[in-house]
Amino acid sequence: MNRVFITGAGIISALGVNKTEVLESLRKHRSGIAPLIYLNTLHRGIPAGEVKRSNREMMQMLGMPPEEITTRTSLLGMIAVDEALQQAGLETDAGMRLALVSGTTVGGMDMSEQYYKDFLENDTRNAYIATHDCGACTEMIANRTGMFSMLDTISTACSSAANAIMLGAKLILHQRADAVVAGGCECITRFHLNGFNSFLILDGEACKPFDEHRAGLNLGEGAAYVVLESGESLRRRNREPLCRLSGWGNACDAFHQTASSPRGEGAVLSMTKALASASLSPSEISYVNAHGTGTQNNDLSEGIALERVFGKVPPVSSTKSFTGHTTSAAGGVEAVISLLALQHNFIPVNLNFSSPMKELSFRPSTHDIPAFPLRHILSNSFGFGGNNTSLIFSKAEDS
Amino acid sequence: MDELILKLKREIIDVLNLEEVSPEDIATDAPLFGEGLGLDSIDALELIVLMEKNYGIKLKDPTQGRDLFKSIRVMAEYIRENRTK
Amino acid sequence: MRPLYVRRTACVTTRAARVNGEEIPVVATSDPFLTALYRRLGIDYPRFFKMDGLSKLGFLASELLFWGDASRFLPREDCAVICFSRTSSLDTDRRYQASMRDYPSPSLFVYTLPNIVTAEIAIRNKLYGETSVYICETYNPHQIFRTIRNTFAHQPLRSALAGWTEYDGDTGEAFLMQIETQAASASEPLLSAGFLTTAKHNL
Repeated sequence: MNRVFITGAGIISALGVNKTEVLESLRKHRSGIAPLIYLNTLHRGIPAGEVKRSNREMMQMLGMPPEEITTRTSLLGMIAVDEALQQAGLETDAGMRLALVSGTTVGGMDMSEQYYKDFLENDTRNAYIATHDCGACTEMIANRTGMFSMLDTISTACSSAANAIMLGAKLILHQRADAVVAGGCECITRFHLNGFNSFLILDGEACKPFDEHRAGLNLGEGAAYVVLESGESLRRRNREPLCRLSGWGNACDAFHQTASSPRGEGAVLSMTKALASASLSPSEISYVNAHGTGTQNNDLSEGIALERVFGKVPPVSSTKSFTGHTTSAAGGVEAVISLLALQHNFIPVNLNFSSPMKELSFRPSTHDIPAFPLRHILSNSFGFGGNNTSLIFSKAEDS
Repeated sequence: MDELILKLKREIIDVLNLEEVSPEDIATDAPLFGEGLGLDSIDALELIVLMEKNYGIKLKDPTQGRDLFKSIRVMAEYIRENRTK
Repeated sequence: MRPLYVRRTACVTTRAARVNGEEIPVVATSDPFLTALYRRLGIDYPRFFKMDGLSKLGFLASELLFWGDASRFLPREDCAVICFSRTSSLDTDRRYQASMRDYPSPSLFVYTLPNIVTAEIAIRNKLYGETSVYICETYNPHQIFRTIRNTFAHQPLRSALAGWTEYDGDTGEAFLMQIETQAASASEPLLSAGFLTTAKHNL
């Protein structure tokens, strides 16, 4: 039996700057999707899940001097990591081997795209350019606390944060670390907004996951991390876990650079692997937090995969209808949302749904179910490159 | 028309990096997708960019591309009627 | 922990290619070296010409690892692809950024994702196992060794292609190892990070 406990979580997204705000938005069915205003782009007005704070405001939240060199992605990461560490009570804990595993693909692109022209023409020492690498982002987050003895940066597109959590679990099981802060961070940039736009997969309105008339995704941004900890460390620190990370699986769809296979081969494999590693049968899953981007291709492929794995599909929703697709952070954002759902026994609804997809036998959850006891939640995160990851979160007492 | 067809074939070979294909290898009336050239969804998106960049034709809906890329001749005829540059 | 063995190593740079340290002779042509190597190996996979530099390097290194393996195209769920990189997709990021000035190019945007190189290898060889990309400051044998060992624990993997892929400004290298849980003739045990230091040095 895999013994990896979760003792803390932090999140910042379009739904709010901490768990309390995010939970309230989810329970009140209040979406964070709104016209872009913070990103400086010609596509201003396109719907997206922006974090409703400027960089300056986030620096104030963090108590950073305004002249400090940083990026939006790492600011988001710092806020979420702070909250996670605080909940786990790790802020002042000395003598533990702490690792930070962070997923990002955008990294410091937000500042690079702002300063690159100057850098090329007359400002070769621009300090922001040094923050471009994905690894620099993890380092900036780690340097804020100085508590981490091991850092890893994973870049596997939209499954990055889920893979970071999976790696974190392995570090715990191999006793390489006593606790691991794992998740991901990503801000919206012109760079990938234009890229997704060139793929013609941005919905001009709020996205409609698993709807027959779905027309694409809304980009989102945010950061979210969980604190993973071994049972031994919990006993030593005399702390109760919030829940357990009971299963994980990553598989390659091996079909196309960006498109998902028609029958969701990689998705079936990642979900099956996760169930096997948690020693659970499909019928024991209470709720699936789907990848559910709202594109024609993903929702059909994932929907078919869900039917293949579960037969009778449990309640499913895509919370990207609230947060937008937070790309590399999505696996972390949806891990924390799954954790909140487990703790508060509710199924987050799937917004903007009206017509079932004709190819599928199930429809997503759209209404609150009163007093719904949740035990095990499966969360999917699929990335371009066919990089598919499924994580399973279980109540701590379900051991 | 023949001139436009040849130009279009050269442009497609260039933007889609069809290294081992020459204009003569592309049949004017054969479907561009599904067989022969081995093109995929990214190639279709790149052709949509080509239509806008080289001919000023803006396609918003990917399904419109599907009808348009039936063959080089269909593409060329559409360009002749709708080009703005 | 199960023992691991390295059956083959392959290194492809923008100037030379080696398998187990032995150089593959490639006759210089007017083509770029990677194209000349592709033709020298008799590969028929036009997708190659659509790849960016990083993917071309990784793809060709994987071709060298599977070269002559009759069973290579049988679908496999028990083979992982793990790459480590410093600058990852930076070279393509610049090209795509330049295209954004007028029409952002979808085919360039695809390769701005650092993990497409693992996808190209998996698609070509029907590898359905775990794929991942780690960003590191330098080629760090300890981190790479630890990550490979972690990947093999807790799942029924039998093999992996793993190594360093780096490409920037028209130069680069892919150093990949074919790692297996079963010993084969001429395979070497992967016992410590030291192997990774020596293997890359010898290439």
